[in-house]
Amino acid sequence: MTSYLKLAAKNILRHRTRSLLTMLGIAASVGVLFAVLSFNKGFTEGLAVELERTGLHFMIVPSGCAHEVAALVLHGAVIPKFLDTGVMEHVEGTAGIDLATPILVAQLPDQQRGKIDLIYGIEMNVLEAIKPGWEITGTIPRHEHEVLLGYEVAQHDNLQPGDHFSSPAAGVDLIVAGIVGYSGSQDDAFVYLPIQTAQNLLGYPQSATAIGVKVDDPTRIGAITESLTSTVPGIQIVTMGEVMNSVSNLAAAARALSLAIVLIAILISAVGVMNSILMAVFERTQEIGMMRAVGASRWDIFRIILNETTILALVGGVVGIVLSTLGARLIEAFVRSVMPFVPSGDLIRFDPIVALGSVAFIFVIGLCAGIYPAVKASKINPVEAIKG
Amino acid sequence: MIELKHIEKTYRRGVETVRALRGVNLTINAGELMAIVGPSGAGKTTLLHILGCLDQPTNGDVLFDGVNTAGMPESQLVKIRREKIGFVFQQFYLIPGLSVFDNIALPLLFSKKPAQRKKIEQLAEMVGLEHRLNHAPAQLSGGEMQRTAIARGLVNDPAILLADEPTGNLDTENSEKIYAILRRLSNEGLTTIMITHNPELAARAERTVKIRDGLICP
Ligand SMILES: Nc1ncnc2c1ncn2[C@@H]1O[C@H](COP(=O)(O)OP(=O)(O)O)[C@@H](O)[C@H]1O
Ligand SMILES: [Mg+2]
Repeated sequence: MTSYLKLAAKNILRHRTRSLLTMLGIAASVGVLFAVLSFNKGFTEGLAVELERTGLHFMIVPSGCAHEVAALVLHGAVIPKFLDTGVMEHVEGTAGIDLATPILVAQLPDQQRGKIDLIYGIEMNVLEAIKPGWEITGTIPRHEHEVLLGYEVAQHDNLQPGDHFSSPAAGVDLIVAGIVGYSGSQDDAFVYLPIQTAQNLLGYPQSATAIGVKVDDPTRIGAITESLTSTVPGIQIVTMGEVMNSVSNLAAAARALSLAIVLIAILISAVGVMNSILMAVFERTQEIGMMRAVGASRWDIFRIILNETTILALVGGVVGIVLSTLGARLIEAFVRSVMPFVPSGDLIRFDPIVALGSVAFIFVIGLCAGIYPAVKASKINPVEAIKG
Repeated sequence: MIELKHIEKTYRRGVETVRALRGVNLTINAGELMAIVGPSGAGKTTLLHILGCLDQPTNGDVLFDGVNTAGMPESQLVKIRREKIGFVFQQFYLIPGLSVFDNIALPLLFSKKPAQRKKIEQLAEMVGLEHRLNHAPAQLSGGEMQRTAIARGLVNDPAILLADEPTGNLDTENSEKIYAILRRLSNEGLTTIMITHNPELAARAERTVKIRDGLICP
């Protein structure tokens, strides 16, 4: 039976190609909007989980290196300064500290092979906690002479688990325990060693690039960091909360930029909708005149045209979200390739609230875009439209 | 039933003023079949639109069952159109995306009445389209399109049916069919007014009104 919705839908179907193109414009912009909104949620949650998993409360680094901490925790970074040997002893001697785990990241030039190895020394159980998403062929090192290779390193030297990893440091013979699967990130370029092995290899026993610290009582973090900074010279302390903040600030800035672009895209597609419906109104002037003659009020005409726009916007919005959800992995792969510090795990998670919000948003935009054509249509003078 | 008293209608076309109607007096009796004839540009369509409460006269009164509709706001005129008027046009103006059934039912959407299948089937049968209800307008002949439009004009049970050159786009055979339908409706008591350029059809109406230069010829 005829209804305003059916009438509007039939009108849209009259120009299939034009409606489809207009609708796809909406779908594309809503799809991206949905992806950006969901992405941010997935990103911050993923980051929080990841930092939580390290089990550490704060990192101690040489003073002046605070900026590198986020990179260090999330994917390793070479800091050209080392903490003094004494720092570790100092930290271990401080009251209230449950665990202090040194991280040693350094470059190791290998003249024979004409390349530089990036060494990442850390307690292996801490590494496992930091990198739960790694797919390791073989195992994580269990002995001090075992090593875990990043994907690129293994590729470069064509190494398999069980092979010997030749090191320029004489007398140290390492066995490849495992190889990390391809990540597309900086992880691929590192050689992961048990901390002690790394310290020995580099000839810096007891020293570290950073020390991760877990305290007994998290409420006392403030007091402990204060006492450490005042008693140990040359160090700076960055808490995981601060890391979280600086990384999510970065993500928020990226999101603000993408949102601005998405909003412009939505505006453009809304103008497309307005134009398409306006054309349809002009083409149907006579028909609108007829409807007025057979009893349609101005408001009735207004409603029919407004329905056409909102149907286009709603269908476009839903299609956009479906496409975006289906293509989430592709979008993620892209984001991983351009953003630093991307936590592992799903970045884009389908959240019904975000989906509904996006559809509601495009619905409102559709309404706004429809008002002008609908007003135009309602103002058509029936007498002029149907000159007999 | 309808009384037009000294109806004037002027249009502005740029600086020029067009006097489409220049003092038309006309009484329309319930149930009659009236033909309006006259040369192109004489003011026939203008008169029909004023009768159908689609347009307002510049001067004069339109007494619809004693109520003056001249000067009424559009919100009231639209109600009169829904309740009392049926329109039929030369170009049919069917909606291409809707079936014959839905085209006939369209005015019910605006008068906010439920579309009763039975009623629409009866109307379709009356105009000889009962087998075409699910067809699209594009699948119809011109005569069938106009018969659909007549059924649409009747769906709100109007008191008066106004047809502006309903046979203008049709051949003789189809024109005859349309005329036969209008004749039957009028015999059944429906007031029917038809503008026509076809002298044969005009001659067969109960009354013929001739318009020239915005005036009724005596
Ligand atoms: N909307 C309008 N604006 C200006 N002039 C109009 C308008 N409608 C009709 N006219 C003029 O009014 C006169 C009568 O028109 P119309 O009633 O359509 O004549 P008919 O139907 O007898 O051919 C014509 O001169 C026509 O050009
Ligand atoms: Mg005319």
